[in-house]
Amino acid sequence: MEYVSNDDKNKTSKITYDYLINATGPKLNFEATPGLIPGQNKCNSVCTYTHAEHAWQNLEKLIQKMKKGFKTKILIGTGHAKSTCQGAAFEYILNVEKELRRHKVRDMAEIKWISNENELGDFGMDGMLLSYGSHIMKSKDMIEMVFEDRGIEWILKAGVNKIEDGVAHYETLDGEYHKEEFDFSMLIPSFSGHGFKAYDKNNKDITDKLFRGFMLVDADYTSKPYEEWTVQDWPETYQNPSYSNIFAPGIAFAPPHSISRPRNSKNGNPIFPSPPRIGMPSGITAKLVADNIIDQIKTKSKTLHHKGSLCNMGAACITSAGYGLTSGSGISITTFPIVPDNKKYAKTQGRKLGKTFGTIGLAGHWLKLLLHHAFIYKAKMKPFLWLIPE
Amino acid sequence: MKTTRISNWQKFVMRNPIIQFVKFVYISLKVMIIVAGGHDGTRTS
Repeated sequence: MEYVSNDDKNKTSKITYDYLINATGPKLNFEATPGLIPGQNKCNSVCTYTHAEHAWQNLEKLIQKMKKGFKTKILIGTGHAKSTCQGAAFEYILNVEKELRRHKVRDMAEIKWISNENELGDFGMDGMLLSYGSHIMKSKDMIEMVFEDRGIEWILKAGVNKIEDGVAHYETLDGEYHKEEFDFSMLIPSFSGHGFKAYDKNNKDITDKLFRGFMLVDADYTSKPYEEWTVQDWPETYQNPSYSNIFAPGIAFAPPHSISRPRNSKNGNPIFPSPPRIGMPSGITAKLVADNIIDQIKTKSKTLHHKGSLCNMGAACITSAGYGLTSGSGISITTFPIVPDNKKYAKTQGRKLGKTFGTIGLAGHWLKLLLHHAFIYKAKMKPFLWLIPE
Repeated sequence: MKTTRISNWQKFVMRNPIIQFVKFVYISLKVMIIVAGGHDGTRTS
């Protein structure tokens, strides 16, 4: 083990364990896109607190320039052909737009969304059919409606492959190469595993048994076409098949395949979102891993009773679309299941309507605010934390 | 296909604090039910 921060940086040590939970989250793989460096080339990131703080400082400077009459171009979305986490970029673009309106400089900025999604509202989950009030609508139509209302333009099917100072180079699914200029950008990088090497006690390399980028778990990793994907491909217990005392919940596990349909450009380059596992699914899968370990310790049994496949689990995404107790807005979307079950819900694009719904308005902002405080309360391990869901 | 627009009436509903408070209670409960409604595997069932 090598320490990477604080006083013990670069120090190495050996630790023995009975159980190992790999819950590292992803590596922010900025280097996969040349020039995509937070703080350089007019690029920003909101992937860490420090990044977000710098992004706000840069945006604030840009707002001051706009107040002096400087017209700007803002580009937000995904910074790699296989990025995920479109939801975070979606939330950010709406907040930036609202902030510009708050500062009365909205007319000075051209705001553009760029993404590897095939359609708006894909979010790396192959889009969804959802209940919207008394209507049934596609997530594509809902997000288009929001962008149209906010005056946000969009570029889709785009794999960003290089960034120069204020210029994003990208390839589209039809094989064409384009570039987009900007004065401020926030592009989500691709995520990868941390590149860990693994050795057993005899110093034998066991990396192949543990990692395929991310950590191998009880998924079916057999390569097969999109049409043959099943819900059974997805893991249930997040236990490594070779070592029963090693688990990888959250984004640390290697998914069997993407959720969105894989697409290659005419030049043969893949341009489609990787599967998101962040947020609520991370909390649920981590808890079930902990519950299984507790059971094993208490009962001495090797059976894992707690299971949670992304194909049999609901998720909620409450997207802030602007701050303000009475002027704020939020877009609330729930989906069940996270990974579409096209067999069970064949007529509704793999999702259960009613449990998959969307709504826009001030209530969403209040809910986001409530969840913000609830999660901080839970993180502080205060009384009755079990009442707050992941 | 042409993009659906958010009508003025829909905008009024989205911003009206009284309507939104009722909606807040409703979606809080609904989200809670969906999210805390349990999860399971897919291989045995």
